[in-house]
Amino acid sequence: MKIGFPRALFYYDYFPFWAGFFYHLGIEVETSPPTQRQIMEDGLKKTSDETCLPLKLLAGHIQALKDVDAIFLPRMVSMEENTYNCPKFLGIPESLLSAVPPEIPVLSAVINWRKGQRQVLKDLRILGMQLGKSGAEIHRAFLEGHEWQQHYQDSRGGEWDFEEKMREIEYVTRQTTKTRPQNFSVQLSENHQNCQKDLKITLIGHSYLVQECYANLNLLQRLREHAEVNLIQHVEREDVEAHLSGLRKKLFWSHAKQIYGAGNKFVEDPTVDGIIYLTCFGCGTDSMVQELLAQRVRKHHKPYMVITLDEHTGEAGLVTRLEAFLDMVERRKVREGYVSAYGECLDSHSNTL
Amino acid sequence: MGNDNYYLGADVGSVSTNLVLLSEKNEVALTLYLRTQGRPMQTIQEGIKVLRSKIGKSAKIIGVGTTGSARQLAATLLGADVIKNEITAHAVAASRVNPSVQTILEIGGQDSKIIILRDGVVSDFAMNTVCAAGTGSFLDQQAARLGIPIEEFGQLALEAASPIKIAGRCSVFAESDMIHKQQLGHALPDILAGLCQAMVRNYLNNVGKNKDIRGPIFFQGGVAANPGIRKAFEEELGQPIIVPEHFGVMGALGAAYLAQEKVGRQSELRTRFRGLQLGEIQFNARSFECSGCANRCEVVEILQEGSILARWGDRCGKWANAVGKGTYKGKSQEGEQQGA
Repeated sequence: MKIGFPRALFYYDYFPFWAGFFYHLGIEVETSPPTQRQIMEDGLKKTSDETCLPLKLLAGHIQALKDVDAIFLPRMVSMEENTYNCPKFLGIPESLLSAVPPEIPVLSAVINWRKGQRQVLKDLRILGMQLGKSGAEIHRAFLEGHEWQQHYQDSRGGEWDFEEKMREIEYVTRQTTKTRPQNFSVQLSENHQNCQKDLKITLIGHSYLVQECYANLNLLQRLREHAEVNLIQHVEREDVEAHLSGLRKKLFWSHAKQIYGAGNKFVEDPTVDGIIYLTCFGCGTDSMVQELLAQRVRKHHKPYMVITLDEHTGEAGLVTRLEAFLDMVERRKVREGYVSAYGECLDSHSNTL
Repeated sequence: MGNDNYYLGADVGSVSTNLVLLSEKNEVALTLYLRTQGRPMQTIQEGIKVLRSKIGKSAKIIGVGTTGSARQLAATLLGADVIKNEITAHAVAASRVNPSVQTILEIGGQDSKIIILRDGVVSDFAMNTVCAAGTGSFLDQQAARLGIPIEEFGQLALEAASPIKIAGRCSVFAESDMIHKQQLGHALPDILAGLCQAMVRNYLNNVGKNKDIRGPIFFQGGVAANPGIRKAFEEELGQPIIVPEHFGVMGALGAAYLAQEKVGRQSELRTRFRGLQLGEIQFNARSFECSGCANRCEVVEILQEGSILARWGDRCGKWANAVGKGTYKGKSQEGEQQGA
């Protein structure tokens, strides 16, 4: 049996779990190819105009899955206590059924950690019955998936490259039936994370935007050519929690919590020269978190820019903003090097970013 | 005459193409403001022809800078020494004109921006996001609809006795609101002044959101020619607004200053300027869809009398990088991929 896994949305955070899960069950997993124009166009045609870009991309990736026995679309309700994923995650798979080719069945499973591990296992056993697997097998597959996810999360940070890591995982998941190609080798990207760069920029945003290099017009790579780039995805959970203080109410969306907590850590970090917030048009959680972070940034006088993505394919707008931002950060950095005789930065009187 | 050396700055935007000649003594010798009219290449050539006819035979261009949304195209045609984004170019020009300037309001044809400077360095900026409601094209369009020349728009707005309120968030809403008010019998100057106020309100809420606007404030870009908008800004901000002498060509002026900085710093550096005769050369542009992969990039080719000068638009860079290294051989590349 071969299951199709769309390379979109939940793929960017939770694929290792599902890869390990299905690997243990001896089920081959086929991921859709990286986003390209056709996938984007197909996605736009099959979704309502109201929805956000990442969901439109997911619809495109569903259509790109050919020759699979089923398409897997899990309903990832909650990943930890007291938090939820965005409501658009919760609407899957129903909200996207129109994008699924009629001849391919959809497999789904509910993941809801809010109700504890017992409930998660119970829901997974329902999926197991559809796959003809026993409860014990499902339990072991769950543990294996958990291990893969843990391993993946522990490996993040520093020289780490998302795409490379994913290629490794995808390679293993296909191994169950295919033989290893002769010239297979994981290529190390030479031009990423050069620690010699003078500038240090933090790129804040949902994993499915930051790592989606087609839709974000290669923003991450472009930034890495000029600066050392920090991502919020690499911040440990404890660190995120530690930087959530100061909020009057708890944030109950997983991504919002991660973005605010980790973002806050970088805002307070004096070695970070500038912060770019990548969002997509119409994102409900970002509309709030972005503003909360902007307030924090203003207090710390840091250069800050918001980039809003939609279906753009023209790069001019992005390039202009990025160039101007880097120019600004660079020139400001040079100037702030001139410390006055009173021992404070020249612009410390200013409330401007 | 050894003093006949100039730096050329070119700002090729969506609506206008501006050229500035800056002398070695930092004097603005010539400014040109041309309408791009969707044909940037021809407009640049037209501009160079005009420029050539206006300057003396002994004049020499010793540095070129380009900016604006077509800065890459302009740089290819002219042979630029510096290519810079509009924000940096505008900021450089303003702080050279007045080093104490702290805020720049810039409204152009298709975009608007705000730049915050402290001690002559950009410390914050913003550009309009999805909405182009507060830009020059919209004013142009409304002036045309009301049958008044855009040059008289601002003057008429100043005559308003009691400006009416117009919804400014969106140009579609603004237009329908204006039509309703005009059908009710409001006077034209009142409507125009109301539109100016709505535009300024929208600009400050959208682009100027969360910005620390302090004087001296410069207002530049094509729309700064409109005294109605200037007055609305002054009323809204409660501060005097300075419109610099060369407000319409500040981007080009900034590009010229940047060229001067770059070329001036290294005296042995010779400009890459392709010469004033380029107005006579035949340039062509064509585009094609690359079928090398599923991205199907739209690649643009600039040709000078049949030979390829530059290419861009491809994500992987295989077409762009192939220029100057012989023609790109699609066949052999495909062969390599199959072998891999």
